[in-house]
Amino acid sequence: MAGYIVRRTLGMVVLLVLLTLAVFVLFSLMPADPARLTCGKACSPQIIENNRHRLELDIPPVEQYQRFVSGIFFGRTYLADTKRPLECEAPCLGYSFLRNQEVLDLITKAAPVTFWLAIGGFVTWMTVGLVFGIVAALKRGRWQDRTVMGIALVGYSLPSFFIGLVLYFFVILFLHLLPNPQWKAGMPFKDLGGFVQTMLLPWITIATLNAAFYMRLTRNQVLEVFGEDYVRTARAKGLKERTVVVKHALRAGLTPIVTAAGLDLAYLLGGAIITENIFNLPGLGSLAIGSVIASDLPLISGITLIAATLIIVANLVVDLLYAVVDPRVRVG
Amino acid sequence: MPRSNAWLRRALVFGTTFALVLAACGGSTTPSPTTTVTQGPGDTPAPTEEVDHSGGTIYMLTAAEEFDDIDPQRAYTGEDLAFFGATIMRSLTSFIYDPDAGVANTLQGDLATDTGTASPDATSWSFTLRDGLTWEDGSELTCEDVKYGVSRTFANDVIVNGPTYAVQYLDIPSNPITDENDPKSGFLSAYYGPYDGTGQADFDKAVSCDGKTITFKLNQPVADFNYTVTLGFSPVPDPTGHPDLEDTVEQYTLRPWSNGPYKIDEYTQGNGGHLILVRNDAWDPASDPIRKAYPDVWQVDFGIDAKVMDQRLIASEGDDAFAIQYGSIQPENLSTIFTDPETPNADFAGRATSDFDPFARYYWIDTNKVSNEKHRQAMAVALDRDAIRANLGGDYAGALGDGVIKPNLGDQYAETGMWTDLFGQAVPDTGDPEFAKQLIADSGEPMPALTWDYPQTAVRDQEAAILVASFGLAGITVTPNPIPPGQYYGIVFDDEAAHEFGWAGWGPDWPNASTVIGPLFTDKGGWNLSRVHDEDFVQGVQDALAELNHAAQAKMWQDLNKLAMERVYVIPTTFGLSQTFGGTKVQPLYQWAPYGSWPYAEMYVTP
Repeated sequence: MAGYIVRRTLGMVVLLVLLTLAVFVLFSLMPADPARLTCGKACSPQIIENNRHRLELDIPPVEQYQRFVSGIFFGRTYLADTKRPLECEAPCLGYSFLRNQEVLDLITKAAPVTFWLAIGGFVTWMTVGLVFGIVAALKRGRWQDRTVMGIALVGYSLPSFFIGLVLYFFVILFLHLLPNPQWKAGMPFKDLGGFVQTMLLPWITIATLNAAFYMRLTRNQVLEVFGEDYVRTARAKGLKERTVVVKHALRAGLTPIVTAAGLDLAYLLGGAIITENIFNLPGLGSLAIGSVIASDLPLISGITLIAATLIIVANLVVDLLYAVVDPRVRVG
Repeated sequence: MPRSNAWLRRALVFGTTFALVLAACGGSTTPSPTTTVTQGPGDTPAPTEEVDHSGGTIYMLTAAEEFDDIDPQRAYTGEDLAFFGATIMRSLTSFIYDPDAGVANTLQGDLATDTGTASPDATSWSFTLRDGLTWEDGSELTCEDVKYGVSRTFANDVIVNGPTYAVQYLDIPSNPITDENDPKSGFLSAYYGPYDGTGQADFDKAVSCDGKTITFKLNQPVADFNYTVTLGFSPVPDPTGHPDLEDTVEQYTLRPWSNGPYKIDEYTQGNGGHLILVRNDAWDPASDPIRKAYPDVWQVDFGIDAKVMDQRLIASEGDDAFAIQYGSIQPENLSTIFTDPETPNADFAGRATSDFDPFARYYWIDTNKVSNEKHRQAMAVALDRDAIRANLGGDYAGALGDGVIKPNLGDQYAETGMWTDLFGQAVPDTGDPEFAKQLIADSGEPMPALTWDYPQTAVRDQEAAILVASFGLAGITVTPNPIPPGQYYGIVFDDEAAHEFGWAGWGPDWPNASTVIGPLFTDKGGWNLSRVHDEDFVQGVQDALAELNHAAQAKMWQDLNKLAMERVYVIPTTFGLSQTFGGTKVQPLYQWAPYGSWPYAEMYVTP
């Protein structure tokens, strides 16, 4: 087990290095000129060259990459040849000259918002998805099954921007059941009521699409397992139906659900762009889309690195969880 | 003056589909190019001395995620300058608050007692500071602080993106280091700014303080230099007089020191972020006859989805009744809010405005590549301008342009006659292919094949199709060249990469055509996409810059605008309109002409 974890961790580091390299190369190939983008209206060739120097784009790409990686471990100094240098301490993911802040600071501020959005949404959709999926499987072919699958089909068909806007317009603007969402620093610990009011609709928005998917997935998995020999054997032994379902069928059926859930959660932790934008949440998704629109290379690189790390770590955790969920699986 | 790019990009993404729908419905009526203030019959009367409107909070809702720059030497976006100028960042001079563009574009003393005194040849300008000026800590705002603020513009290694008029106009030698390998070659002037300190003596000669009077010595006559000082000349605490306050550059990018009626309490960028301004108790109203400072708090909410923002303001309930939009109404909501571009619906009377934005849209023509004036005239005559405007949104998009000076520049504007008699006969809005053919025949040369550069959006793709079709009727072949918007200006400013003509828009830096004609048609201004090098025209610009009589100068700009259109350095397309609105409990709501913004300094909330 320990050897497996070490091997996977090393593989993860290699993957991350390759990923940072890919992001860097892709951005270097981008036709937009960051030096021109930060030039403003009073722009001249001389100012563009100044900006290129200031943004350290006038050094070879290999050296730029080296500085980026070295900054993560040892920190780095920007504008070193001016009387006003900028110190970025390790782990330095870069400095956004468009937002005049360190990338890590920006990510650190945005990450809690996305974390709570993802966790709340995840709990909601998993609860709804699993419960209704199991009910549909147990009541296969009956009205309960058809109702759940009908709801799942509708939920699956509605894009999140539509759900979010409809919820916003009806619940907040039309019915006034909730105030305009407003994220405040320190939430949820400082203002739990405001936190729930702010996050409720975003959670529902995120959960609707995913819950529909998990209803169908859970139903299919449970039904598939119901057809396995060992379930028939368990029933033949006279075990209670509850024990058959919970202890035997569901546990085995959970394996692919854990895989999907782990990756979905990790994906969501990287930012939910549409939901965050509709509900004005300052999370990683909003930060990412803003950085892409503005061609803010340091910020794009930093967010990509963080999001990719989450996905890779989630993959590792999911693999390890297999062993816990399904005794037939052994790692090592 | 560049508008907030973040907002524009979002608006383009969300608005494209709806703009197309509107384009299909757009009428052909051309709004008269006069400033429109859509105040309804039920308007709350303008504030008077007797009524105290103090108190409350005004909310500003914006799709942008932050202000472009709020450092006094870096702020360069019109809306931002209007807001910060009214709240925390005073300048030597500023403009009058009035719904009428002609009045609003009039200069008045702000930190200075008056609009400045020029030497007879306009190469030297002096301004005397008012009494009682303070910083937010209560310390006195001195002449040295103004001088220090101006000096920061020269530190272009760390102070970037801002206006550079100080470098352009102050009498300081250019940077003697030209070797590109020398990092010092990057400085724009022999003075490297206050942090490096090189060339300080040159700067001290050009900018001097005598008590409360600051004097600027210029390298050329600049008759409207008292307008220039509204942009990038705001004071910053001089570290010499404020030993406890080190200018690290970085801190002013997020929290400049205030010398106005408010100060920054909180500034968090990004989606869901806020800028909160609270009262600056050190500000002395007696030192400031301009700012009413009615609300106790200004709160800017960033990252509001544009569709949600419209719906919140339409509903106008709770805090949203005290909110104003920092941006424009989404195209799909225009018919809900307006009966026509000049008249809000009854529910929105007094709180929705439709007025000229600062920008004139046009097609520049490279006069080197299309050197035959008749050819350029044929291009202008052939263009179906009415279809172009309809594609942009019809009446709501703006009026058909006849030059690069817009009517909201007040006395600077006069009709050029471009579409009535400038080419010898009237040109219909839909273009005149036969007349264009005749002009080509009169030119004595075959019309060259043309390529049109444009920053690609869905709407401009359609514009390209209209252009190709209308030019085709006159026998002019055009190949559209779409360019990713982020790269557009980097390419079209490159002489080799740019093609014969292309799309552009321009707004003046202050309400004087000196920041339109000069930048667009001479090399000094930095936006000469038409590559104009006509000596008589350049001399005309220099003469106008030196003319101290405002009315005479305005006439000179009008004449140059007309001359530029006669020579077809550009083809004007539209004078853009923008529509915006606010909640039911905030007044007065009109577009303030100098920056095409709300009149922040006199806004208040109603019970």
